[in-house]
Amino acid sequence: MNTVTAEEPANESRRFIPDLQLSRFSGLYLWAGIVLIFAIWIPGSFLTGTTAKSIASNQSITAIAALAALIPLACGCFDLSVAQLVGTSAIVASSLMSKSGVSPELAIAITLLFGLGVGVVNSIVVAWVGVDSIVGTLGMSSVLLAMSGLLTKYQFVGPLPSSFKSIVAGNVLGVPTIFVYMLIVAVVVWYLLEHTPLGRRVFATGASEDAARLAGVRTARYKTGSFLVAGLLASIAGLLLAAKIGQVGPTVGPEYLLPAFAACFLGTTQFKPGRFNVPGTLLALFLLATGVTGLQLAGGELWITDLFNGVALILAVSASILGARMRSRRQRRAAASA
Amino acid sequence: MAATATPALRIEGLSKVFEGQRALAEVEFEVVPGEIHALLGQNGSGKSTLIKVLAGYHRPEAGASATLYGEPLALDGTPPPATAPIRFVHQDLGLIGGLGAVDNLALTGGYRGHWWLGDRREAATTRAYLRRYGLEIDVDAPVGTLSVATQAMLAILRAIKDVPADRLLLVVDEATAALPDEEIRIVFELLRELRARGGSVVYVTHRLNEVIEIADRVTVLRDGRKIATRPVAGLAHDDLAELIIGRPLEAFYSSGSAPREDVVLEVEDIAGGRCRGVSLQVHRGEVVGVTGIVGSGYESLLRLIFGGEERQAGVVKVAGEVVAPAHPWTSIAAGIAFAPGDRKRLSAVQDWSIAENITLPRLATGSGPLPWLGDRGERRDAQQWIDRLAIEPRDPAAPLSSLSGGNQQRVVIARWLRCGFKVLMLEDPTQGVDVGAKPAIYEALAAATAEGAGVLMSTSDVEEAAAVCDRVIVLVDGRVGAVLEAAEATADRIMATALSAKADDLIGADR
Repeated sequence: MNTVTAEEPANESRRFIPDLQLSRFSGLYLWAGIVLIFAIWIPGSFLTGTTAKSIASNQSITAIAALAALIPLACGCFDLSVAQLVGTSAIVASSLMSKSGVSPELAIAITLLFGLGVGVVNSIVVAWVGVDSIVGTLGMSSVLLAMSGLLTKYQFVGPLPSSFKSIVAGNVLGVPTIFVYMLIVAVVVWYLLEHTPLGRRVFATGASEDAARLAGVRTARYKTGSFLVAGLLASIAGLLLAAKIGQVGPTVGPEYLLPAFAACFLGTTQFKPGRFNVPGTLLALFLLATGVTGLQLAGGELWITDLFNGVALILAVSASILGARMRSRRQRRAAASA
Repeated sequence: MAATATPALRIEGLSKVFEGQRALAEVEFEVVPGEIHALLGQNGSGKSTLIKVLAGYHRPEAGASATLYGEPLALDGTPPPATAPIRFVHQDLGLIGGLGAVDNLALTGGYRGHWWLGDRREAATTRAYLRRYGLEIDVDAPVGTLSVATQAMLAILRAIKDVPADRLLLVVDEATAALPDEEIRIVFELLRELRARGGSVVYVTHRLNEVIEIADRVTVLRDGRKIATRPVAGLAHDDLAELIIGRPLEAFYSSGSAPREDVVLEVEDIAGGRCRGVSLQVHRGEVVGVTGIVGSGYESLLRLIFGGEERQAGVVKVAGEVVAPAHPWTSIAAGIAFAPGDRKRLSAVQDWSIAENITLPRLATGSGPLPWLGDRGERRDAQQWIDRLAIEPRDPAAPLSSLSGGNQQRVVIARWLRCGFKVLMLEDPTQGVDVGAKPAIYEALAAATAEGAGVLMSTSDVEEAAAVCDRVIVLVDGRVGAVLEAAEATADRIMATALSAKADDLIGADR
């Protein structure tokens, strides 16, 4: 092969890099900007190790819920039940321990199986029966909410054994333990989704189911798998949640829905524009959390969180649509000039 | 049918040029009131261009004029006004399968009620209207559940609803291509009824038997020119075929090649969609073409073989081994590669890069302890194929949607060359590909056969089939009409076979 022709495209793409970098990593700049604003505005309370740690540990559960939502999204499906599954899993685990006296190990195993079971039902309904994923998982969400009520009788469940709570206690090298769990989950999901054939086929299914099928991808299997993993991850998040708070309320869960999906969609504007990706999702999540925390510390009221997340979701999806339009326009222009 | 009467439609001096290619040249066309007038011609003869000019999709060259029942009809690239008594029914019918007849009719004609839609009153009105033409159906049943013939009739009745029957020009543009023979008769009854009421019909079709059965006169186009307008009475099937092709038909016989042993793909009695039992064989190093007229089944044959579309019956064997069950992945594992014709939707992922599209069916993961799909390795891998097939741009990261049709097709071929295959199947491999880019695709096919693979391609382009294929299988009405060896597979013969009435009429049919 002729080496000259092989190098040419590399040079050409390098010329475009400054332009692309700006949009691809704009979230990082935005994050830095938000930190800077609050650092100047409320330096005393915002720019502290405590604030950083509290954002890291508070957002870890939302982050795992977002990763749970991300996998079906990559496969072209919505799993709206992940948020409620986080809450219901926490309730299942704590009821088992505090009411039935089950050992923490067994409770963890049963809760994980419960999450997988919900994933199985979702996948049967969506991938095999063919119910639209939004509708199917919305229904599942309500079923899970009912289960929460049934198990808790609308009372707090707890206290939980300290041996269970200790799994998230303390720090590892100065970083909250729960954040470390989240990082491990994120790295595994990132590896599976972005660097294995399995993940590539998941994305193929999401990008164009018919084309993927005709290229030999067993699309129904990948959809099924994505719901199973989503269920498993959501129940892991639920276990960590139960361990972290020690006393689980009957209505926990729904509050994770919006931030998780907002992070996934906002994430598609970052790192790999136009695609769901793990680094983008995490960046988006912590960016939003930093903004919300800053506003709260600055004296903002509670509703600020919902407002911020809602506006961010709408802006994120608009940005990703407009970004795709701009990308295709740029390509067309590039193709026309070529 | 007096010539002195005002014609229902008269077109004069109609020319149309597409990018330097003449599609229509000074065409004259006349339809008298109360006749069914067939419009015939091969693909590319200008017949669809003529219909599209009438419907206002294309603006003709200056100098064209048309009158409709004596009144001038502007041919200016805009649809004729609703007051002009001309109506069209196109091949896809334009019905919404999930809605009932009532709502489908209301899509164009509106409802009877204005402020309140009474289901019973609307249904009664629709039923009464359809009954006037002898169509008794459940007007609330989703039209998708009705027979294709009924759907065609509904589309026709919807089109003509607000036009007086004695002052009507209805253009039926291959709307019957999807109908089996038995069902076409039912639609013919309706067209005859319209004729009896004084209406005129322009009937566009590929099936010569239909023309003989229903039409009063026929106009034949060839290479954009009007060849003849003749009364149908006294014309036989072969006369029409000669008019279309432009040369007399010689009797021909399939020479019947000696059985070869190196069969790489064997298909036995495959059925599904419009195919009703097709058997064929592809040998090592051979390019086999499948063609036919619209609705003959050639369009879906490859998808049935590959398992991309559900089949009702049939067995596929690759190198003697049965491929079962019929799924894309089992076919790929057995060594079949498939490049679908719908490149936008089916053959590749438009948003993905060239590299990702090339590697999808066989993802290579390097030799590390954990499988690892890295960008750099993947691009290096893809670069070889980009260079080998001279895909432009040469950048593996370029999104597929930024490529021209020819380059996209080369990406799809590269994908399968990389996988390795025993049989390569392609639907319309050069559709949407520039003339200049076609040879590169043919070269890629030749390279595949040189390595011992068999190629099976379906095409609507008989010239291409004649030029590229070692054998051409012509489907007629869902069955193999004939198998033509390269020496006898001229475009004319392929066309003549495709136009033939029934598979059984042909001598030497491979059955």
